[in-house]
Amino acid sequence: MKLGDSPEIPFVNEVRLSSRQWGVVFVILAFVVTLTPSVWKKLERFETGLDYRIPYALSKDYWLYEHRLQRLKPTNIVMLGDSVVWGEYVLPNGTWSHFLNQEAGATDLFVNGGVNGLYPLALDGLIRCYGRPLNRQKVILHCNVLWMTSPKADLSTEKEEPFNHAALVPQFNPRIPCYRADASERLNAIMERNIPFFEWVSHLQNAYFAQQSIPKWTLAEEGGDPPRYPNAYRNPFSQIALAVPIEPPGDPLRGPQSSRHKPWSTNATGTTRFEWVGLDQSLQWRAFQRLISTVHGRGNDVLVVLGPFNENIMAEENRPAYRKVRGEILRWFAQNKIPHVAPELLPSVLYADASHPLTEGYQLLATRLFADATFRNWMRAKSLPLTESNK
Amino acid sequence: MLFHTWPFLVFLLIVLPGFYALRKTQLWLPWLTAASYFFYGWWNPYYLLLVVYSTLLDFCLVALMDHCPRTGQNADILSRLTGLRFEDRVLKVAFIISGATTLSSLALAFLGPQTLRPTMVVLSLILFLMTLGALYSSRKIWLLISLVNNLALLLFFKYARFAVENLNATFSSLHISARLSDPSTLMPFGFEYLLPVGISFFTFQSLSYTIDFYLGNVQRERNFVRFATFVCFFPQLMAGPIERAKHLLPQFHQFPTVRLRNFTDGASLFLVGLFKKLALANYLSFYVERVYDNPKAFDAPALMMATFAFAWQIFFDFSGYTDMARGVAKLMGFNLILNFNNPYLATGLGDFWSRWHIGLSSWFRDYVYIPLGGSRDGIFKTYRNLFLTFFVSGIWHGANWTFVIWGTLHAMGIMITRELERSVFYREHVPRLVKQMGVFLFVCFAWIFFRANSLNDARWIVNRIATSAWHDPQMPALMLILVALVWVYQFGYESRFRKCLQTDFVRVGTAVFMVLYLCLCASGGGAFIYFQF
Repeated sequence: MKLGDSPEIPFVNEVRLSSRQWGVVFVILAFVVTLTPSVWKKLERFETGLDYRIPYALSKDYWLYEHRLQRLKPTNIVMLGDSVVWGEYVLPNGTWSHFLNQEAGATDLFVNGGVNGLYPLALDGLIRCYGRPLNRQKVILHCNVLWMTSPKADLSTEKEEPFNHAALVPQFNPRIPCYRADASERLNAIMERNIPFFEWVSHLQNAYFAQQSIPKWTLAEEGGDPPRYPNAYRNPFSQIALAVPIEPPGDPLRGPQSSRHKPWSTNATGTTRFEWVGLDQSLQWRAFQRLISTVHGRGNDVLVVLGPFNENIMAEENRPAYRKVRGEILRWFAQNKIPHVAPELLPSVLYADASHPLTEGYQLLATRLFADATFRNWMRAKSLPLTESNK
Repeated sequence: MLFHTWPFLVFLLIVLPGFYALRKTQLWLPWLTAASYFFYGWWNPYYLLLVVYSTLLDFCLVALMDHCPRTGQNADILSRLTGLRFEDRVLKVAFIISGATTLSSLALAFLGPQTLRPTMVVLSLILFLMTLGALYSSRKIWLLISLVNNLALLLFFKYARFAVENLNATFSSLHISARLSDPSTLMPFGFEYLLPVGISFFTFQSLSYTIDFYLGNVQRERNFVRFATFVCFFPQLMAGPIERAKHLLPQFHQFPTVRLRNFTDGASLFLVGLFKKLALANYLSFYVERVYDNPKAFDAPALMMATFAFAWQIFFDFSGYTDMARGVAKLMGFNLILNFNNPYLATGLGDFWSRWHIGLSSWFRDYVYIPLGGSRDGIFKTYRNLFLTFFVSGIWHGANWTFVIWGTLHAMGIMITRELERSVFYREHVPRLVKQMGVFLFVCFAWIFFRANSLNDARWIVNRIATSAWHDPQMPALMLILVALVWVYQFGYESRFRKCLQTDFVRVGTAVFMVLYLCLCASGGGAFIYFQF
C-alpha cells in the first residue's frame, strides 16, 4: 500500500447510497419535513370553543400553543401569563378571561393564553419562539411577583434546581445558574424550538403518547403487582386519533367542587417569609422586561396587570420588602410609559395561595379591572399599526 | 462527546471544513490531533493527560528501541556504567536522563508531598526500567516498559478496585485482619478515581504499535504528531475499532484522496450507525434494564426475551458506534477496519469471533494466541492457548466475575465445538439455519453472564429460565418487529436475495424510513455500552 492510500473497506449491508440516491432521499425528506406540520394542522381536529385553555396535560405542547394563537381573530385580546392566568384552581368557566368576557358582555373577546407551569423566563421564550401569530394583537401581560419571592423561584441560585418548561428558557445567554443541563440538552431545546418538524413531533408525543416518545410509550407501566404494561402489544400508530385531546370535563382537581379549591388560610400553614430578590438582581424580572420589549417590537398593544399578590400570606416584617419591589416595578412601568393596572388586594378568603385567586377572586378581579380607567381607556384604543421598525 | 448528540454535530461542522481548508498545508494533521484531544477532553480534560502521557512514552520507547541492535550483542556494561561509554549517543543521553529522573522522582516520592508518593514510586520504576533499557541497549526491555506502562494504567484504572475488594474479602474469610486501601487513595491531589473512557482501546492501539515495531512489522514513526493522531484519532478513540499501525498510520502520511464517494459512503455508514444506536439499541435497553435490574420479579419468558433483547442491544450499540466512527472517518477520506460483520449469522463460534469485534479478536489472536504458540504445538497446547486467549478477552471487558465467566464460557464453547465445526458432517449435512440458531442461542446464553449485575443474578436468571412458570413477557411488539426486520434484512444480505436489497427503491426507501423513524421515534440519548470498557 502506498503512503496516504486508504484501503477500501467492505460494507456489510446494502444501505450504501450513491449521490443520486442521496439526492432522492433529500428531496423526499424535504417534502415530508416542510409539508407535514402545515398539512397536519389542516387534518387534525382542534376544538377550542368557549373559555378554551391549553389542557394541563398539553402544557408543554408549544406547537399546539402556536396553533391556538394562529386561530385567533384579530379582535381578540389575549391574556398571557402563568398559572394565574391559566387558572390553577378553577375550571375553564371560573378563569380570569371568562369573567372579563362576562364583564364585556362578550363570549370570546378575551382569550386565555396562560400556560400552566410558566414563569417569566419561560413565558419570554414561549412568546419569542411561538408567539408570532400574536403580531399586532392586543395583549394583557400578567406580572406575577411570586417569581421574585426567593432566589430559588427566581432561578438565580447556584444550586441545581429542576424546573418546568426548561426548553423555553435561554439555553446559553443569559446564564441561569441553577440550570445544569448539558450542552446536548441545551442544543436539543434550541433545535426543537426552531425546526417546525421537531415541534410537530413533540406535539404528537404530547397529544397522543402521554408526553413520551413512542418507544417509551410502548413500555409504559401501569403499576400493580406484578406490574402490567398495557401498551406492549398496542399499535402505536392507532393512538393518533387526529383530534387534539380536550381538557377532561369535571376535573376533580379544579373548580369549586374540588378539595383544593379553598382559601389559603384553611391550610393551616400560617404566614410565610419571603427572601425577596432585588429587581436589579432578578433574572425573572429581566425576562419580563425582555418580554415587554418583544411584544412591543411585534406591534402588540400591551397592558400589564401587576398581581394582585396575596399580601395576607406574608409575615408582617416581610411586607415592606414586597412593597418596595412592587413600587419599583410600578415606577419602571410608568417611566417606560407602559399602560398598566395594579388591582388592589383581594379579600384574603379569595386566594388559594400566594398568587392564585379562587373562582370568586377572578370574578372580583374582572369587575375591578373593568372599573379601572386605565383599563377602559386601553380597551377603547385601537391596536398600534405595525411600523417598519417593529415589523 | 457522543456521536448522536448535537454538540458532536457542531464539533464536526467546525472540524471538517477546517480539515479541508488546511489540505494544502502541513497543518491538517495537527488540526486533526487538536480536534481529537478536544474531543477526548470534552469528557474529562484531566484524563487527557493520560492519553498524552501514554502516547509520548510509547513514541519515545519505540524511538529508543530503534537505536538498539536487532540482534543481541554483548555490551560492556561496566564501562557504560563507569565511563558512560556508549556506542550510541541517544542511548547515552537516555541513560543519563532516565537515571537522573529516576533518582529525582524517588526523592520526590520520599521527601515530597504525601499525595504524590504512589505516582512517583510507579514513575520511578518505569524510569529505572528505562535506565536499564539504555544501559543494556535491549529492545526487549523497551518493549517490556511499554507493556508494563500500558498494562499498569489499564490494571490500575480498570481492575484495581475489583482486585482490592476481592483480596479484602479473601482476607476477611481467612480471618486475616489486614486490609488493602481503596485505589482512589492512591490518586494524586485528590483527583477523582474514574475509569477513563476508552482506556482499553487507546492503550491497546498504542501497545500494538510498540509490539509490531519490536516484531519488525512496522516502520518507526518519526513524526510525533502523526503518531499522536494515530493513537487518539477521534472517530475511534472512545470505543474502537482498535486499529493497527500498519493500517492506519500510512493513511496519515499525506492528505487523503477525497472523492464524492467518501461523502456518500460516510453519510450512509453514519445513518445506519445512528439508526442502530438511537432507534434500536436505546429502545431495547429500556426492556433489558427493566428485567435485568430486577430479575427476581420476572419469569422465564421475560428473562429469555430480555436476554435476546440484550444480544441485539449490545450488537446495535457497539456496531452502531463503529459504523458512525467509520462514517466520520470516511468523510475525511480515512478508512477504519470493519469491526462487525453480521455476527448473528455466524455458523460456528469461531466464525462468530471472526465477525464480532474484529479489531479486538484479531488483536488477541496476534498478540496473545499466536505468541502463546497458537495451534503449532499440538492439540493440548492449542486448546490451552484458546482458553487463555478467551479468558483474557473476558477480563478485558471489565472487572467483574461475570465477564470472567463470559470469557470462560466462550473459551469452553470454542474448545468443544472446534473439532465439530471442522467435521464434514457439520459442514455439509447440518442445515445453515440450524447452525446459525445454535450459535445464536449459545451466544445469548453467554450474554446472560455479561449483562447480569452480579454472578448471583446470573445464576438466578439461568435457574429461573429453566424452572419458572411461563407468563406473558410483555415485550413490546414494536421492538420485536424492528429486530425481526433487521434479522431478515441480514439473512437477505447473505442470501441469493441480496440483489433485491441493491435496488434504488429499497436503498432509498430504507434510508428515508430510517431518517423519519429517527425523527419520530428515537429513544433518547444514552452513552455507548463499550465506553465503560
